[in-house]
This record gives sequence, C-alpha cells and structure tokens, in this order.
Amino acid sequence: MAKGKPVIEFKDVSFGYAAASDREFAIENINLTIYEGEYVALLGLNGAGKTTLQLCINGVIPNSIMGEFSGEFSVYGQDTEVTSVREMAKLVGMVFDNPEFQLSQMSVAEEIALGMENIGFSFEEMNRIIPEVLKIVGLSGLEERSPFALSGGQQQRLSIASALAMRPKILVMDEPTSNVDPIGKEEIFAVAAKLNKEENMTIVMAEHEVEVMAAYADRVIVMDEGKIVLNGTPKEVFSETALFERLGLRTPQVTELSAKLAKKGTRKFSKGYPVTLDEAVSSLR
Amino acid sequence: MQGIAVPISVVPGNSPIHRINPIPKMVWVLGILVISFITRNPVILGGVFLLGLLFVTIAQIWPSYLRVVMVLFPISLTLILLQSIAPAFPQPWTPIVAVGPFTIWQEGIYSGLSLLLRIMCMTTFAMVMIMTSHPSDIFASMQKVGLPYTMNFILTMTLQLIPILQSEFNTVLKAQKSRGLKGTGFAAILPSMVPVFVGAIERVQQLSISLESRAFGSSGQKTSYRQVQFGFKDALVLAAGALFSGAMTYWLLVDKTLDWSRTLTFSPAFALILFFGAGIGFLLFIAFALRLVLTA
Amino acid sequence: MSAKPIVQVENVTHVYSRGNVTALDDVSVTINRGEIVGLIGQNGSGKTTLVKHLNSLLKPTKGRVLIDGEDTEKQSVQAMSAKVGYVYQNPNHQLFARTVQDELEFGPRNLKVDEAEIEARREEAIEFFGLEEMRDLHPYRIGFPLRKLVGMASIFTMRPDIFILDEPTTGQDNITTQRVYKLIHRLRENGHTVICVAHDMILLAEVVDRLLVMRDAHLIADDTPRKVFAMREVMESTHLAPPQITQLSLNLKKGKVVLSVDEMLKELKS
Repeated sequence: MAKGKPVIEFKDVSFGYAAASDREFAIENINLTIYEGEYVALLGLNGAGKTTLQLCINGVIPNSIMGEFSGEFSVYGQDTEVTSVREMAKLVGMVFDNPEFQLSQMSVAEEIALGMENIGFSFEEMNRIIPEVLKIVGLSGLEERSPFALSGGQQQRLSIASALAMRPKILVMDEPTSNVDPIGKEEIFAVAAKLNKEENMTIVMAEHEVEVMAAYADRVIVMDEGKIVLNGTPKEVFSETALFERLGLRTPQVTELSAKLAKKGTRKFSKGYPVTLDEAVSSLR
Repeated sequence: MQGIAVPISVVPGNSPIHRINPIPKMVWVLGILVISFITRNPVILGGVFLLGLLFVTIAQIWPSYLRVVMVLFPISLTLILLQSIAPAFPQPWTPIVAVGPFTIWQEGIYSGLSLLLRIMCMTTFAMVMIMTSHPSDIFASMQKVGLPYTMNFILTMTLQLIPILQSEFNTVLKAQKSRGLKGTGFAAILPSMVPVFVGAIERVQQLSISLESRAFGSSGQKTSYRQVQFGFKDALVLAAGALFSGAMTYWLLVDKTLDWSRTLTFSPAFALILFFGAGIGFLLFIAFALRLVLTA
Repeated sequence: MSAKPIVQVENVTHVYSRGNVTALDDVSVTINRGEIVGLIGQNGSGKTTLVKHLNSLLKPTKGRVLIDGEDTEKQSVQAMSAKVGYVYQNPNHQLFARTVQDELEFGPRNLKVDEAEIEARREEAIEFFGLEEMRDLHPYRIGFPLRKLVGMASIFTMRPDIFILDEPTTGQDNITTQRVYKLIHRLRENGHTVICVAHDMILLAEVVDRLLVMRDAHLIADDTPRKVFAMREVMESTHLAPPQITQLSLNLKKGKVVLSVDEMLKELKS
C-alpha cells in the first residue's frame, strides 16, 4: 500500500526510559517504514509502546527525554539525533491525548502563534496562517477566545491547528479522541481524514476506536510489549482475530462476527473478513 | 471548563486608558509606588488616591474595581484599629481619648490613615493598569524592554494556572466529599491538595513535551505575534507620568513642612468614629465572608 | 429485586448561578432498586448535572430529589456518601493516599465502619479488581487504566446502595474494560443500583437494562437500549451512534436491533 516515497524509517530502534525502574525497553527492535501520504493506525494496550514510538518520530526521543536509544531513525532522510528541534517541528506536528494539557496561552490566536514564534515566522505570515488553519479545523472566528474556555473537542482541534501552523508534513496523534465526547470524536476524525486526503499529509494515529480506524486507515500496526506484532492493511491485520483476542485487543465488531461465522462454517469469506460496516452489509446480505 | 476568570484581570473596554501602551502605565504605577512610600501625609496621599479614582472613572472599570476594593478595604481597616492603639511611630505619642483599657493616640490615627491611603493609592493605580491592559500586551511590552522569552512564558502560564488550579481544587474537594470526607481545616485540605499538585505536575510534564514539539526550546531568532504600538500619545503619557512622579518626589523630599504628623490634630469624636467605624466595617466583612464560605 | 423506587427525581430544574445557565429543565425520572441504567448525551446536555443531584453535590433550583425516600435538600454530600457512591471519570481527582491499600480504607473509615469489616472489604476489593501486586504502591505510581480501577475499588469498599460510574471505560484498554463489565455484573447480582454515565455504546448495549438520553437540559428518551437504538431521531440529534453490530442488524434485518456480536450470530443462524 505504498503511496509515495518512504518518509519515516525505523531501523532496529530500541529505547528504554532512564526513569523506568526496571530498565526494560519501552520499544524494542522496531523496524518500520511509513510512506508519504499514508494514514497509519497504531493499536495496542496501554504500555505497549505506542507513545514511545510516536515520540521518536519528532525527535523528542532521544533528544529531550533521557534514556537508552539504539538503532537508526530518520524522517525525510534526516537523522533526528542531529536535526534541530526547529527543523523537526517543521516536519512533524504532534497532538496528545489530553487536550487541555497542551494549552498554555491567553487566546486561541496566541496558542497557534506560539510554535510559529519559536521558528521565527514574521508577523504578516502569522496573521495569514492563523485564520487559514482555524478554517481547516473548523474554529474560524474564535481567535480571541481563551483556549481554556473551549470544549474538549474544540481544544483538541486547536492543538491540531497549532501543529498545522508550522506547516508539518507528518501529523502524529496520540489517542486524540480519548478525552472528548462523540461529537468531538467525529470532528477530530473528520479533520484528520481531510488532511490526509486533501493535503496528502501523513498521519500516524494511536487509537482504541478500531471501528473508526478500520474505515480510515491505510495501514494498521499492532504493538505488544514494545514490539510490532502485526503490520498491514486493515483487512490483513484485523483478520487475525485470534491473535487480537490473545493480546487483549478488540477487532471491529463486524470482523469479530464474520470470524465467528467462518469458524462455525456458516459463511465463507473468499475476499477476507469485512472490516467496515459497508463491507459487512454487502458481504452478509 | 466554563466561566473561568482570573480574579483581577483585564476588563474589556475602549476607554482612552485602554488604548494606551502598557509601558507608560507601568511608569505611572512605579511613580505612584515611590510617592506613596516617601510621604506619610494623609492629605497628599488622599489627593493621589482621588487622582487614581479619576483614572478609574475614565477607564470605566468601577464595577470590577469595587469588587477588589470590597475585599481589600475592610482588611486594610484593621490597620486603623491596630495603629490607633499601637502606632508604628517614634515616641512620644499624644493621647486623644481612652476606649476601655486602650488609649487612642494622635500619632496612631495619623499613621493608620496614611498606611491605609498608601495601600489604596498603590492598588488603585496598579488595578487601573491591570484592568485596562491585556496581559499578553503587558508581557509583550515587557519582552520589548528586555524580559527574557522564557520568563515571559512562565508568567503567562502562571496566570493561566491560577484559575485552573482553583477549579481543580473544587472538583477534588467534591470528589473527596463524595467519599465521605468530613470536617474542615487541615484534615480536609490534605486529601484535596495531593491530587491537585499531582495533576499540576502531570500537566506540566505533558505541556513541556507538547511545547518541545512546537520548537519551544529552539535556538535562533524568535518572533512575536502580539504587536504593541507605541505612539506619540503613549510617549506623552509616559512623560507625564515621569514628570508628575519626579516633581512630586522632589517636592516631598525637599519641603519638610509637609510632615504633618505633629500638626494635624484629630478631635476625640473623630478618633472614636474612625476607630469604631473601622472595627464595625471589618466585622461586617468577616461575617459576610463567613456566610459565603459556609453556604458554598 | 422488588420494583421499589430508590431514586426519584421530581420536576427538577437546575440553573447555574454563574452565567445563568439552565442545565436541567423540569426533569423527572424514577429509578428502581437494582436497576442498571445508562445515561447518555453530549457534554453539556445536563448528564453530569443530573447525577450530581443524586449525591447532594448539587441541589435543585426547583423540584426535589428523593433518595430511598429521603429528600436530598437537607442532606450533606458526606451523609449521602453512605448511600450514593460516585466514581469520578478522572481517578486523579479522587486518589491521594500513600498506598492503594490506604485508599481502599479511606471511604469505609469515614463511614465509621469497624476495623475488622474494613479489612474484609479491602481484601475483597483487592481480589476482585486484581490489585494484589500493587497494594503497597502509591496510586500515582501505577498506570492510568489500573489507577482508574483503584478509583472504583475505593468506592466499592464503601458499599453504597447506588453506584454512579462516570465514563468508567474511557482511557481503559480492553483488559481493564473487561474488569468494568465484571464489576457491573457483580453489582447487579448483589442488588445494587448502577447509573452509568458513558459514551461507550458497546458497554451500554451489553450491560444496562435501561438507557436515559439527554439533550439540551431535557430527558428526551427513557427505554431499553434495544428500543432507544432504534429511535433514529433521538440517536441522530444527539450524535450518538449505536454499536457497529447494532448498525449492521438495523441494516440487514430491517430495523431489528441486536446488542452484541453473539446475539447477531444467533440471529444470522435462524
């Protein structure tokens, strides 16, 4: 499912946090290539290493977080260990799970400006970009609002806008919908899908909502205890229902149903188990 | 997270004072600070206070100003109470009238009045500045005159954190009450403080990673989004502030006759009214505050 | 399980003085002892305001709330805590003790339960929630999903008649989510009343007897999940989607509602 050129490359990467008491690796021997314009879903239990893997992508690991790093890693051919934070911020935008904990400024406009100030955008550029990114995430007109007076979903979209303002090519999102209500979830998934389709932005998203990921992602990666255990298209990955169950993870309900039907011999799925509602409707009709 | 408000913050408006750059306003505040400390003359301090109230009127911030004064003023009244019977003033003291076991002293009234007015002068001017300038503009201006970027960020963040921690504290207190937490005082505070602090630490850790990914720690030139104008009018206000406080300071330092501590006398009736008025005002305030706390 | 009302909310209106916001507008609902009820709606629809009335954290502006026949008007939150246990969405708001074990003892001790009983309840909770390995750890030293279980366990040891669970499965992974299911089933067996405020439709479809739907300060639906999921207008206007498996059955079986994968399996075989 290679859409474009390789943009994120992990070669045998391991990392262990210095702060961890047991000196275990949080991620171990990761080999992974992500291509330009791909929408990659990252699944796994809490503590499986998803966040650690994501923090490598913009160089926060190993540059700012202490620990033992080995292997080779690059983004757009640049080694994150030697590339400055400034350059990395222009390549990779990050959005985290707790919307409120990413905000610090007095107004929405200033929140978005913060990153641009740090990499030296001119006042005129900022003035042009702020309304632009607000429009992409659907928050136009809220420039002067306090970030802390927004709803969880709006705050999360503001975080996305703040990342977008720096014109990154890759957007990394760590469980962006885990603290927002259903409307907020819809909005965030819609923005991510739009960026992926219209701007060809590479998206790496850790999520628990498997039904949604099955519908949006080009590729699904499953992690367990610091290692990648499955890596492929949603269809390939979710068909491993037995492994999912063993790992304590869910597959989309329609896939679970299909696997059970196939096991009982009631149905055959020659083209693989359906992973989305539409697929299920057409194959089970 | 609705309805969060910093207790003393900018009051939106478009008065002539709102439109002035924060720097000249800060010069005024500093000037008044100096004046308030070099004189004890209640009449001069009273005059400066009235000037402050004039600014409050021009800025159209009376309601917000009064909300702060309602808390500050009754507390400051205790100064009159304490000073009247135990002046912070070199001896000898002149007695005016006796109230039970206490004597109200001439110097005490003088000193109490001047301390009260000092506080009112300084806070009035400071509030005019804070309530008419957007905090971001204040920080941006301070950055212009040399405050480091990181320092600026810390100030902004702190200002944001105060109301957030307040609301967190309320949530946690409710959560603890839901677990049957009884009593007040220290026993109740501890279970509520721990979660608030742990939460604050987690917040800061997460924020620092988030900032890092927005190039916060990057070296090289930074720009500023908040543009603060500094025009002719601002220069004029700045000059006026510097001139006013400069001239006042000179006058107050040179003219020794302005020390009225031995010449301004108070009648026993005036002393009693002031003393009991301050006492009653303070008690009313305590009663009001207690009622608020108990019904909350 | 007798059909005796334990929660009676009678024409309750709540107006937040700050900002003059009406968060509940003439809401009435009765919940019987032993019922497992789900409460859904968007943030700001009034769900949280409603459940906060049940343990006296909020008092009605108009109307009244009876818990086990008693008006909450004169009750303090602390007094209500013996009857109504409120598990917060964020465990960090609730936990403060030095060890998990202390945390579990805090509630019953506030209720003046005797020491032998406290110990028995603590051990039971540790076993039930699988907290043996971390009983002496600081609650903040353990990961978020397990910390959330500690939050639930700390209310579990108080043995309230009514459990309010606020988003028990958010931030959980599938393994800790299973524990939440187990908890709710256990509470059902023991005859407790459970009110589950959640967005997790898969959870609600499988565990609750009854779903209350709120929108703009009003209760707009009150029925079994099976009936509610079939109410198109209600679901769409609140942006709530039933579980995928329910959507599939609605689609394939002409409006037939199933609530779980296993139910659909049976449905397809027949």
